[in-house]
Amino acid sequence: MSLAKPYESATGFSSWRLRKLVVDFGVYMALAVLLIAAIFLTPKLYEVNTIAVVMRQASQLGIVAIGQTMILLVAGLDLSVGGIFIMTSIVVAEVTNGRDEMVLPAILISLGIGALIGAGNGVLVTKRRVPPFVATLGMLVLVKGATQAYTKGVPGGFVPDVLGIVNQSWFVLSIPLLLWLGLNAFFIFVLRRTAYGRKVYAVGSNTEAARLSGISVDVIRISVYILGSCLAVVSGVVLTGYVGYVDRFIGTGLELDSIAAAIVGGTAFVGGRGGLLGTIAGVLMIQILSTMALLMGLDIEVQFIIKGLVILGAVTLYSVASIEE
Amino acid sequence: MSEYILEMLNISKSFAGVQALKDVTIRCKPGQVYGLVGENGAGKSTLMKILAGAYRADAGEIIYKGEQREQASAGEVIDSGISIIYQELALVQQMSVAENIFLGREPRYTLGVLNLRALHSRAAALLKRLGVRLDTRLPVSELTVAQRQSVEIAKALSQNADLIVMDEPSAILAGSELDQLFRIIESLVEQGVTIIYISHRLEEVFRIADTVTVLKDGELVDTRSIDQLDRPTLVELMVGRPLDEIFPQTEHEQGELILVAENISTNTILEDASLALYKGEILGIAGMVGSGRTELARALFGADPLTSGTITLVGDKSARWNNPSQAIASGLVLVPEDRKTHGLFTSLSVRINITLPILSFLTRFGVLQSSLENKIVAEAQERLSIVMASADQEAQYLSGGNQQKVVLAKWLETDPAVVILDEPTRGVDVGAKFEIYKLMRQLNDRGIGIVMISSELPEVIGMSDRILVMNNGCIVGEVAQEEATEAGIIELATMADAGANHS
Repeated sequence: MSLAKPYESATGFSSWRLRKLVVDFGVYMALAVLLIAAIFLTPKLYEVNTIAVVMRQASQLGIVAIGQTMILLVAGLDLSVGGIFIMTSIVVAEVTNGRDEMVLPAILISLGIGALIGAGNGVLVTKRRVPPFVATLGMLVLVKGATQAYTKGVPGGFVPDVLGIVNQSWFVLSIPLLLWLGLNAFFIFVLRRTAYGRKVYAVGSNTEAARLSGISVDVIRISVYILGSCLAVVSGVVLTGYVGYVDRFIGTGLELDSIAAAIVGGTAFVGGRGGLLGTIAGVLMIQILSTMALLMGLDIEVQFIIKGLVILGAVTLYSVASIEE
Repeated sequence: MSEYILEMLNISKSFAGVQALKDVTIRCKPGQVYGLVGENGAGKSTLMKILAGAYRADAGEIIYKGEQREQASAGEVIDSGISIIYQELALVQQMSVAENIFLGREPRYTLGVLNLRALHSRAAALLKRLGVRLDTRLPVSELTVAQRQSVEIAKALSQNADLIVMDEPSAILAGSELDQLFRIIESLVEQGVTIIYISHRLEEVFRIADTVTVLKDGELVDTRSIDQLDRPTLVELMVGRPLDEIFPQTEHEQGELILVAENISTNTILEDASLALYKGEILGIAGMVGSGRTELARALFGADPLTSGTITLVGDKSARWNNPSQAIASGLVLVPEDRKTHGLFTSLSVRINITLPILSFLTRFGVLQSSLENKIVAEAQERLSIVMASADQEAQYLSGGNQQKVVLAKWLETDPAVVILDEPTRGVDVGAKFEIYKLMRQLNDRGIGIVMISSELPEVIGMSDRILVMNNGCIVGEVAQEEATEAGIIELATMADAGANHS
């Protein structure tokens, strides 16, 4: 009793398979094409040093993209992560003032503030029913403004030397890469094999049905926003170590790149469909494209154009696949 | 010119190698009503989409008004006088009745300035042709579903439709609203318009159609004049096997009291409703759409907070609740009316759909036990005979009947004491309907009390032990099965003092 009757097929069995192929494997096929193209266009991409750099940078984007993917899964969106990077950078510099032993407290304080920001996003979206785009955009402006007010526009403090460890690679391995892979493994497990993960998908797929199924919809959504903000703090710490000084413009563009990576990786903008494996591929695609453009000596503007085309291409492909009905 | 307005001859269509329609022929004379029936997936929609120009047939020809029609765009089809009214009405909520009727074709002065006077007078004339009284300036969002449907029909008329296809028009209507639809159809037919009427409800087909065409698995079973058909024969043609009993009956005595609601009201139309439910019985809730039936179900389930009154589960698990998750924990579940928006997770797999309410049972320290889950899903599939490619298939790709079974399976896994079914067989084909009825009887045998809301009176009367009739937010009467008649229930449901014209 596992095969559909013939007439069931007419209503979508075959198109289901076709769609699944595009949605599930499209990004991996695109990534494979890119990697093959790189053999001819930019063979330098395959040098150990280049791979190590690409992976470190992919990790910075990839960690925040984990949270972004989960927020997208509950039909949300988080633009405020850009503010969280800056907040983290300033907190780390101010609290440690260059002292290595203060790194852990600084990170904990950043996580605490991050969690508050995430909770704020979550409460605005759930209890006040503010659209996620507006709520998190407002939060982004608020957090950026608060950091500027606090520092009077001239951030003080120093980044402790110990954070420089994020720039070291052993062969292709690095702390950021291990962190990225570890967090992915953990959250893939959470999404696939825990009740919490199931509820995340259910809330994103059909909020009202989830509520009627006895799921505390608001708790799930707020918790996902908090998770997203905390993951952004982790990305922010890595970024701070990478830059090595307090930077008011740290991580600019990563909030949009993290959304792009998730969408390119097949996570639906409307929630309930997608996952972290796709996002990993999406992150790699964005990072490899940028690196290839750099290696080919293309202007930064051209990089943006290519990135934009890839995002539009992916979104078009997914939407064509879903009009199939 | 031939005597037919439309001939679709030997139409075949396949999708990715799967035959959806095979050599189907239908012929329609002007001024007649044609019933098009068949189970879900029989090919009705595909055939109508080919007529609408949405799909191109692989083989066969369409002769319309005596001329062979080439592949046409949707716009060309409408211009040629064919209108299709889909179940999901396509109206702009914020715009007025008249604006909707003439959307994109508004009467204009030169320079494109709208001629509002003509817009409203022409809209009023069209509605008058339908025998509908409606203020053309009202925004569509203010209208009842039935009134919206009339607007769609008026829109079709404004496009000079000679042939109107109605896809499950009654699925969203009830009681006297249906009578109004039939009056409209009759007046259209008098004016020479041809109607193709697609419906799951065979009573309606018998009431309104002159000729019935039955499709099954993409093939034409038969086309017969309505006076050569009776209900059992039609059912047999549709499902390919006789259904001795549409509504399976069981012998049972009234069990113990299990659910009591006293004087409950919510912030909705629901007011001061009381009911008692006994183990192993089906309590039917009848009434018009908008009479408060769904609100009653939601109140019982804790989905809308009570403003007054109490609900108690009696017996060994005596309990009260304030929200759905407490209700589920107490043993009361709701299978909602609108499967796609309230019941099913369309983008998720059948597996995830079925086990969602019992995750805490399936997890140890929050981690799912796959083997246990697989076993439960396989058992549910077996017991409800859900047809699917695999448990990982997304629910949206199942047929309507199978989707409903998935929603039912989800709730049965919670081992409930009380099941509330809101329109359990809406949009479900005859075969699956029968299976759902059988399932309800099995639940009764297990001592589960069922509250069933339905717009289909034969279903309410055929399945319920007792029937509560709702009108304007109140329970206005109780009828025992033996005494229930459609006329009696309709009378209660439409009593004047409870007026159906509140907004």
